[in-house]
Amino acid sequence: MMGTKRARWFSPTLTPYLLVLPVLLYYAAFWLQPVVTVVIQSFRDPVTGAFTLNNFALVLQDKDFWPAFWNTFIIVSISVALEFVVALALSLLIYRRFWGSGIFFFLMLIPMALPPVATGAIWKTGLTAHGWLNSLLIHLGVLAEGKKIYWLGTPRTPKWQLLTLIILVDAWTVIPSVMVILVAGLQNLPREVIEAGYVFGGTYWRVLRDIILPMLRPTIQTAVVLRLISAIQIWLIIVLLFGFSRVPVLVERIVYYHEEVRGLDIAPAMTTGYTVIVAFIVSAAALLYLYLSGAFEGEKAS
Amino acid sequence: MAEVQLINLTKRFGRRVLAVDHIHLTVKDREFLVLLGPSGCGKTTTLRMIAGLEEVSEGTILIDGEDVTYLPPRARNVSMVFQNYAVWPHMTVYENIAYPLRLKKVPRDEIDRRVKEVAELTKIAELLDRYPSQLSGGQQQRVALARAIAVKPKVFLMDEPLSNLDAKLRVHMRTELKAIHHQTQATTIFVTHDQSEAMSMADRIVVMREGRIEQVGTPEEVYEKSANMFVASFIGLPPTNFFYTEVRRENDALKLVHPYFTLTLSPEQAARLKDYTKSRLVLGVRPENLLLTTEDQALFSVEAMVVEPQGSHQIIAFQMDDQIVKIVAPAYPKVWPGERIHVTFRPERIRFFDPETQQAVGDEA
Amino acid sequence: MMDPKIQYRLRKAARQMLLYLVVLTITLVIMTPVYFITVLSFLTTREAYEYPLPLYPTFTIRMKMERGKRGYLLSVWDRNEQAYVSVLDTDDADKMRVYMETYLGLKPSNEQVTEVMQKVDATGGQPVYFAWRRHILSNYATFFRVTRDAVPALIRSLQIAALTIAISLSIGGAAGYAFARYRFYGKNALKFSVLFVRMFPGVAIAIPMVIILARIGLYDRPAGLSLLYSVGVIGMTVWITASIFMAIPVSLEEAAMVFGATRLQAFLRITLPLAFPGLAAAAMYAFIGAWNETVAAIILTEFNPTFSVVVYQTLLGATGQVNLTAAGGMAMALPAVVFTFFIRRYIHQMWGGVTV
Repeated sequence: MMGTKRARWFSPTLTPYLLVLPVLLYYAAFWLQPVVTVVIQSFRDPVTGAFTLNNFALVLQDKDFWPAFWNTFIIVSISVALEFVVALALSLLIYRRFWGSGIFFFLMLIPMALPPVATGAIWKTGLTAHGWLNSLLIHLGVLAEGKKIYWLGTPRTPKWQLLTLIILVDAWTVIPSVMVILVAGLQNLPREVIEAGYVFGGTYWRVLRDIILPMLRPTIQTAVVLRLISAIQIWLIIVLLFGFSRVPVLVERIVYYHEEVRGLDIAPAMTTGYTVIVAFIVSAAALLYLYLSGAFEGEKAS
Repeated sequence: MAEVQLINLTKRFGRRVLAVDHIHLTVKDREFLVLLGPSGCGKTTTLRMIAGLEEVSEGTILIDGEDVTYLPPRARNVSMVFQNYAVWPHMTVYENIAYPLRLKKVPRDEIDRRVKEVAELTKIAELLDRYPSQLSGGQQQRVALARAIAVKPKVFLMDEPLSNLDAKLRVHMRTELKAIHHQTQATTIFVTHDQSEAMSMADRIVVMREGRIEQVGTPEEVYEKSANMFVASFIGLPPTNFFYTEVRRENDALKLVHPYFTLTLSPEQAARLKDYTKSRLVLGVRPENLLLTTEDQALFSVEAMVVEPQGSHQIIAFQMDDQIVKIVAPAYPKVWPGERIHVTFRPERIRFFDPETQQAVGDEA
Repeated sequence: MMDPKIQYRLRKAARQMLLYLVVLTITLVIMTPVYFITVLSFLTTREAYEYPLPLYPTFTIRMKMERGKRGYLLSVWDRNEQAYVSVLDTDDADKMRVYMETYLGLKPSNEQVTEVMQKVDATGGQPVYFAWRRHILSNYATFFRVTRDAVPALIRSLQIAALTIAISLSIGGAAGYAFARYRFYGKNALKFSVLFVRMFPGVAIAIPMVIILARIGLYDRPAGLSLLYSVGVIGMTVWITASIFMAIPVSLEEAAMVFGATRLQAFLRITLPLAFPGLAAAAMYAFIGAWNETVAAIILTEFNPTFSVVVYQTLLGATGQVNLTAAGGMAMALPAVVFTFFIRRYIHQMWGGVTV
């Protein structure tokens, strides 16, 4: 047949590999190459190129390193836990379709879709002393006419207040999107399997604990690990609200040394040092979470 | 074990859709009752209302005389086998069977004993440590069954439990389900759209259409004494043939005139129809009650159009104007398409229907 | 004991109430900030300096002009005070026009201003009341006029997004098709690359990319950024396109091949048109990714910033002029939100299907 002759210009078993190959090459060129480059660079003296651990030493001696580390740690641990618990509770409340659910789920996607700088614009204009939040409170009669709350603090405001504010703003941005993931996961659970729980004697709480949550586990793992990865990289909203160096966090340090003080001798060393440390922390945290939550076991079992 | 009563049971979806329309039904203790009907007839909705999974719009459900209409599923002491098995994928077979017992706070050694017992009964004893993903569809169905039996419910509810199995296994499982029912003697309500499944398993069949009950009866009753034209055509394969006739009343004799034949009814049939005064009447004749005969005894003669040999018998189809009529005849003598065949009715098996109301007429009281 | 039916109905009603209460609360919490940034982006500069800020914008400016000490006294209606507030006293028509343009968002000509002044003269110093309509988008126009680089940056951002779509859809789409139609070695490993790639933070890729892009002459160029953005987007594109192709039955392609089409023809003539809406969604997803990104753009641009970097810089340096800042933020947000509206169904589907 003519058709077959024409069609076999390469072996059909090779086809999938040929289709996948560009992705692999792309990852090699623009993911693996930068990763290797930056790791090698971090062990080299920026000037001489000789092997050194000095870059990391410099970072660890940086007076802002430990504050940045602990700020990041506090923000991540509280916000991931808080966002997950709130999002789970809300998604369990609303996962059934209801009148207006379509438009409601779209509204929830908005904070996720907003560019970070737009989120920054929203909260910066809102949280300044003359911002819309105080104005709203005055219009609602909560604040007396002409009074104001210094949301962004004064130089003497304790740090935990600033961190709380950051966590709340982050929660606004992120909870809806975590919720969307969880609701989608809940809606994909087979209905009969949950109903079987009720028929065979389960109360809502027992069914939730013994059937819904275990079956939702893969979705929960996805949601949390994605959240964890991006939570550690928080910086833009902090810089837009407070400027550089007021509440240092890890990624903010990278941008600070790369952009703000690039003239400094130690800037290149600091940049690569921080970069590799941050990358290490992010991957380690993600893998540790996946390991602890049993994601790797699950893969073997099924 | 228990009796289930549905009184005036109604389910509305939104304002318009009436899924179940004021039905009354009593399921007797130890009975195997089948709800049968085409998809969308309300049979599954009825079952789910009994289970407590669907809110009742109107009416009452009694189990053993107790009003359970507004009780949550867990308080009804029923168990259910779902169409898609609905075994819990994150639990082993053992845990699947044991979990409902743990919810009911059955002592641990009693749980163990019961799990082993039902596993034996449903032939999954060697699968107890496996996860559902490692089982075939048929095995998962057995797990679902074992789980339902283990809780020793008042009522078993089964929602098309065999429809996802392949044809051969389905027929095999019918026998097994029936045997298990014989052993457990549990009141069972079984939903299906497959009339042969219903015929082979049911003590009584409830035929439903558009939210209403069309007929309740034993398989023989619904087959031989179908209450209306819908039941007559839905039950049995090939379905009942209908012949639309004019009624001629001459003295005491009754004649039914069809373009192809004129049938004179026996005196007793005529007697049964003496209260029927309309001018048109439908004859319902099941395919096996159309007989091939010799030319001189034939009611009418036609040309066979299609012949489907079935091994044990053959199905002969012929055309009467725009209507196709089917005959189930013995395998021999063989009939060929185009062959002229001579047909008569088995007179005592003819059923009569009112073409306007579609209801059967002329039955003995 | 209450009637069980009434008890049941009450419980159900309570559940419904709770559901809608939660839905309403979430909606308010999400929408209030969005509402205010929108309002801010439409306020006049004068209103933007008021405190408290008004709850909604107006586009008709009510003004009063009368004889003043130095010339003509201009007063503007103040919604907080519920009165005319004097703002400027001058006899220079040009000065008055500039004030109106800067603070009131109006665009009068000198002649129009002079005309009002003449009216004041004609009435013998009696106040003249007048109301002028303001252009709705005046803040947006002003933002793009006064912000250095805003327009070229916007164009660059669009170029980057288009290029990212092209790269990720062609490369990721091919792999997505392979995922949907073939079984092959390493399929599972590749499936998790989405996650794996993300475990290395974007900044950590951006920093060494400075050198790599400089080497191939793409540093500070739109193309360079889209190369980087595609790394993050490709993984998701593979996921989305795979699920789209999976939803199109192979039998359709096979039917085409039975009738003499080659595999490629079958794909181009049958599958591709059917997959179009889904592919459009994947493209919009790529657009949003590229359009929104900021960190790498800050690191990888020098003289040719993207639009997000421009907005970032105005925000960082912004003191006052909140209405213009808000307009910038809104201009940034709008495309992303609109595209999200179109692809919301796919996002839903996708998140339901993506699991670790």
